[in-house]
Amino acid sequence: MKIPLNKWSLIGFTLFLAILIFVIPLFGAAQFSFKGSGGKGHSWVNYQWLLHQDGFYPSLLTSLKLSVLAGILNLLLMVPTMVYLNLKGQRFKVLVDFLCILPLIIPVVSLAIGAQVAMPEFMQNTEYELVFFFVIISLPYTYRALDTSLQTVQLKTLVESSRSLGASWVRTIISVIVPSIRSGITGALFLTFALAIGEYTITSLLHWETFPTWTVVAGQQNILGAIAISVFSFIGAIALLTTIALFSKKSAPKMIEVGE
Amino acid sequence: MELVGARFSIRRAGRGASVFPLIPFFAFTGFFLIWPVLAVTLRSLHGNKGEWTFQNYQPILKSGPYLHAFVTSIKLSLITSIIGSLLGALFAFVIVRYASGKFGAIIDSVSAVFANSGGVPLAFMFVAAFGTEGVVTQILKSLGWDIYAGHFTIFSFTGVVMVYSFFQIPLMVLVFKPAIAGLRKEWHEASINLGASQLTYVRRVAIPILFPSFIGAFFLLFAGGFSAYATARALTVGTVPLVPIIIGTLVDGNVISDQANLGDALAVGMIVVSAIAMIGYVWAQRTAAKWRSQ
Repeated sequence: MKIPLNKWSLIGFTLFLAILIFVIPLFGAAQFSFKGSGGKGHSWVNYQWLLHQDGFYPSLLTSLKLSVLAGILNLLLMVPTMVYLNLKGQRFKVLVDFLCILPLIIPVVSLAIGAQVAMPEFMQNTEYELVFFFVIISLPYTYRALDTSLQTVQLKTLVESSRSLGASWVRTIISVIVPSIRSGITGALFLTFALAIGEYTITSLLHWETFPTWTVVAGQQNILGAIAISVFSFIGAIALLTTIALFSKKSAPKMIEVGE
Repeated sequence: MELVGARFSIRRAGRGASVFPLIPFFAFTGFFLIWPVLAVTLRSLHGNKGEWTFQNYQPILKSGPYLHAFVTSIKLSLITSIIGSLLGALFAFVIVRYASGKFGAIIDSVSAVFANSGGVPLAFMFVAAFGTEGVVTQILKSLGWDIYAGHFTIFSFTGVVMVYSFFQIPLMVLVFKPAIAGLRKEWHEASINLGASQLTYVRRVAIPILFPSFIGAFFLLFAGGFSAYATARALTVGTVPLVPIIIGTLVDGNVISDQANLGDALAVGMIVVSAIAMIGYVWAQRTAAKWRSQ
């Protein structure tokens, strides 16, 4: 049997599949979200409904707040850790790498149940406990993003020159290392933020209300409104990521790569 | 293997670099990652009166709704990771070959959104497209194909397979693209110069080299699909029995008193299945790295 590996037939076939699998559902949902009341005509009514719904702003605000905190905490924890690993602590790298890949191995549902069992009561009484778990689930991506960009700079040389010119360690990290791995840091920050703002599993199992869990509850009353939120957040995320990718190609989020 | 290596390096490190700067990291992951897993494992091994027991695992091991849930979950992740890895590999190949520069960057970010930001919005989107009143359903109906004529609904197993494929394929693209990009031009030229056809090159050179990476990505997709919760939760409301959904229901309070720790046992069971998949991932990753360095 001869398979025609013609360039254009291959591209055409792939495009056809892409349209079938991705474009049509997205387009269908977008069209659905503009349905007018009673399913007639087209209007913004579902989007307006959304904005006037109880809990829209509070839950969105909570999500934004927690995601920003998770991003900051993640960097405070991981930048010094990764710098040290690549500078002196190579011997610990296997262990840290393993711990950072664990959140992919441990299903988030299991982690959430564990959190319920293990966290002390004062932590379980505040929504800020979510911040810590958002940091945990973004570890696999943060590790890769920071590690990749740290490996592209001459870390030892940078640190030695900075230290021999009299800079302290803190100063060296803040004004020498951080600027030189900016792409990795923005990548890590963005990924943590994106994961945190869309996180549903831990949040709902620990019974907190953020934007995603609010969406599900709101969707039970008004499915059109929920579809409107979904389309809005999808398009918004794509627009945001594309803008970032186009303006700084290096800081495009890095996923786990097989066989790296 | 990873763990043994890690323990070994701790012992040796005493003579070299200090562990001190890593204490925040170890404390953080210890408290928020290791301790919860340990705690749930320990509680799953205890009965209602605090005695040690293996009782909580009985419902999973003997045939019944819980074993059935595991089978359904594994079946779902197997099917969607097969679909995802095959189609995703095709997409990745075409993207690496023919889409470059800014267009490639856009595809990257779109894939990242599709693969990661899924969850809840994804479920609602598919209801809009393929629900009884959905846009796609209506279009197909006007073309003479009523997808709801048979047993199909978007809330069924087949429906969940469709939605999961939506995030598995782009995940595969993201994960597998670097492996394809790593294929060297020289290999292609060499085999063509030696008289191989395009197809022979793909069959005898490209596929064998990419195979370990492909298998690794497959396992990663499997683990991801197996532990996905949000999408199925928002979509099915329990119509398809998946382990994460059942755990969610147990947590929400519908617990029969003698099954108090059943949720813990289910959670540990999920860790075990997922860990087996990730062992496959690590193994494949190492094989792939070995191939590359030769």
